[in-house]
Amino acid sequence: MLTYIIRRITYMVPILIGVAALVFVLFSSVGEDPVRVALGTHATPEAIAELRHQWGLDQPLYMQFLDFLRQIATFDYGRSYNTGENLMDMFKQGALISLSLTLIPYLIGVFLNVSVAILIAYYRGSWFDRYSTFIFVASMSISYMVYIIGFQYILAFKFNWFPINGYEEGLAGMNYLLLPWIISIVVSAGPNIRMFRTVFLDETKADYVRTAFAKGASENSVLFKHILKNAMIPILTYTVIVIPFLILGSFLMERFFSIPGIGDTMITAINNGDFPVIKAMTMLIAIFYIVFNLITDILYAYVDPRVKLS
Amino acid sequence: MLKLFFTKRRLLLLSLSTTVMAWSLACTKNKQEESKGDSAANKTKIFQYLRTSAHKSLDPMKQFDSASAELIDNVYSKLLQYDYLARPYKLVPDLLETMPVKQKDGLTYHLTLKKGVKFIDDPAFKDGKGKEVTADDVIYTLKRFADINVNIKSYMLIQGFVAGMDEFRAETKKLGKAVDYSKLEIAGVKKVDKYTVSIKFTRDNPLAFYPFAFSGMSIVAKEAVDKYKEDFAKHPVGTGPFYIKKYSRRGKMILAKNPNYYEVYSPMASKEEEAAGFLANKGKKVPFVDEVHLPLIEESQPAMLKFLKGEIDWIGMNKDDFAKMAYKKDGVFHLKEQYAKNFKMYTEPGLNAEFFRFNMKDKLVGKNKALRQAIAYALNAQEWIELMRNGRGIPLNTMVPHPIAGSENDIKFDYYTQNIEMAKKKLVEAGFPGGKGLPPITIEYRATSKSTRQDFEFIRNELAKVGITLKGNFQTFSSFLKRVESGNFQMSSAGWGADYPDGENFYQLLYGPNKIPGPNSSNFENAEYDKLYETSRFMPNGPERYKLFSRMSEIVKEEVPLILRWNVLAFGLYQKRVKNMKRNMMMDTPFKYLDLELNNKKAH
Repeated sequence: MLTYIIRRITYMVPILIGVAALVFVLFSSVGEDPVRVALGTHATPEAIAELRHQWGLDQPLYMQFLDFLRQIATFDYGRSYNTGENLMDMFKQGALISLSLTLIPYLIGVFLNVSVAILIAYYRGSWFDRYSTFIFVASMSISYMVYIIGFQYILAFKFNWFPINGYEEGLAGMNYLLLPWIISIVVSAGPNIRMFRTVFLDETKADYVRTAFAKGASENSVLFKHILKNAMIPILTYTVIVIPFLILGSFLMERFFSIPGIGDTMITAINNGDFPVIKAMTMLIAIFYIVFNLITDILYAYVDPRVKLS
Repeated sequence: MLKLFFTKRRLLLLSLSTTVMAWSLACTKNKQEESKGDSAANKTKIFQYLRTSAHKSLDPMKQFDSASAELIDNVYSKLLQYDYLARPYKLVPDLLETMPVKQKDGLTYHLTLKKGVKFIDDPAFKDGKGKEVTADDVIYTLKRFADINVNIKSYMLIQGFVAGMDEFRAETKKLGKAVDYSKLEIAGVKKVDKYTVSIKFTRDNPLAFYPFAFSGMSIVAKEAVDKYKEDFAKHPVGTGPFYIKKYSRRGKMILAKNPNYYEVYSPMASKEEEAAGFLANKGKKVPFVDEVHLPLIEESQPAMLKFLKGEIDWIGMNKDDFAKMAYKKDGVFHLKEQYAKNFKMYTEPGLNAEFFRFNMKDKLVGKNKALRQAIAYALNAQEWIELMRNGRGIPLNTMVPHPIAGSENDIKFDYYTQNIEMAKKKLVEAGFPGGKGLPPITIEYRATSKSTRQDFEFIRNELAKVGITLKGNFQTFSSFLKRVESGNFQMSSAGWGADYPDGENFYQLLYGPNKIPGPNSSNFENAEYDKLYETSRFMPNGPERYKLFSRMSEIVKEEVPLILRWNVLAFGLYQKRVKNMKRNMMMDTPFKYLDLELNNKKAH
């Protein structure tokens, strides 16, 4: 397994260089010119030239790219064009806030969605299955934005059950996170339950389930020892690979609930042409994505002994 | 199969526990609301204001965005400021004892500071006690403002004004980041005594003092800059009406009253304003509120919900809010009854002019005056304002926005109004009767949004009525700038916000030597206009200057290097408990002058 892990880590190098090249080309050629965005319409040619020089944008493109690769290797991404903030500090701070927004509903969501999916799969073909299918498909057809605006208006403004928006550090911040959590759980229910239900249905029809019952295994034993374990591979793929994106937060949720996480920072950076922020965030997320992909593969081997990491 | 696991009892238990959990989460009370109530009980005046975008830097010399200026203006002081109520906008002393005093040579002014004004207490100072502001701090601030390694964005506001300042800036460029200001002087800036600085200008120039009221020229202390270095951008140490109690760039920022602030409330109120109670606090020390809470709310829906709930005291009003909450009747704006019960609305003309530019170097539109005139006659600014902006604007007859001296309030001038017959006649004169033979004209827009496209459709339809075909090119802001600056355009949407409230700032937009890459993107050149501009530029406001402005307006109308459109009206709502509210476009966040009536309960 160690050889496998080392090989996968080695693969990271060309992948990251590829991602870096893509990001660099994309934002150098089609993105907003950060100097012009920063200086606006009243800028003098002297100011434009000076800022371009100070930000190193007067260097040849290959030099700028090499500098970018150096930043990736040293994890020193420098400072934001717009705010002058240290990017690693910005990332650490924003990532924790984004995680506080996304992690809890993710965990609750996974637990609830798997549980409900088992329940629906068990009652497949019944009125419960039909109605729940209708409700979840309908819920999937509604835009994320509608949930945010609707819940914010009804639960926070009309019923006054939650603050409309805001954020505070520590436990006091919980009060502001409850409504976004509920929205996240509700939004994730439709697609996840539908997918998990299909996975469980496929498994309940498998030969080994019939064999297990024929051997006299109890229903609990068949459910938890056989079906759940076999259904775990697609569920793991689906759930673990989402984890890096939890760090990215949710742009819409952060914006509507004024939660100062990474998602909103990233969108603001794209709008302002704040290239250092975009570079740093994209590369860090790419690294997380590759690492969690590797973790998923390793988990396969634990969940299913037939999988060999060689 | 599996029936034993899903017994009815277990199912019931599962659904019950899920319901209870969801309900208990949902029923959590809004703690912020409760704490708000407590503060009211303690008679603490907390003004709630929302920031719609995050500031970039609180280092005065490194910022040039309104979100940063809104905060800097409240934690720092400048030598001069704008009177809160006076219109047209008028400079008055801030840290200065009096307005600058002109010396015998006619070029030098003495600026004398108020005595006893101190920076807030901060570890940057000896024993942590704020030091007194002196002439040394003013000179340090001027040097830092002129240092190219520090200030790239806003130096153009003072460029060429102060003797020796441009040379100082050039020297800082040579020296790089390690400039020792004690070894480098600005020739025209001298210390007279502990509280007085003398500044020599390059010429007698009434515009020269506007930069001294700009947030970027806020007086900073060398000790604080040296101590906090890069972090000075988030650790302001000023002499303003407030200090930062809690810093959070993307969260809730809290400003607390500076107990040692020096200013006494004495704005220049009109008789109507006096009658409306604007001088009730006259003679009292500002600020009147204890704290200002500034959450960052970028989306308009939650912002408006918070305002309606009484959690925000003052909010700007966008087009959609206006359509829902207000209406225009007989040229007057009113709040609808259900909102008027709880809130008040203000209207104030902005300091910007919006127009369409022609590229005078373009072979078609630039060389055909009659064609430009035809386009000007074909457009109806008033109708566009009514239909596309809910009537929230004023058509412009001259280049100068209404609240600025030298605008059409001072010079009576009639610009083009829609006249289809004249447009058709001019089109014949241009050699394209009924638009025959006229290729489509392309207009550049600096946004790709839906509303921009709607604006274009309106204009396109108006021009189509006389036979002119218009094409729209919608692009990002920087692409738009690149295209216009390369001179590769026919027509473009354009606008200009005042750097300072003077007509000169707008007439410079057509001054020949300012052509691309300067602000004259029309590349307009007219010897008479240039001469009038040069003469009027440094004249004080008054009938003589306005006569020159009037002639320049005639030239603009005749030559049509641009088509004047409109002056935006700013709208806002505030809670009835807020006192002394008047929108000052040169002072976006006048928190120090605002007061709250504590016994006026929440609006909603």
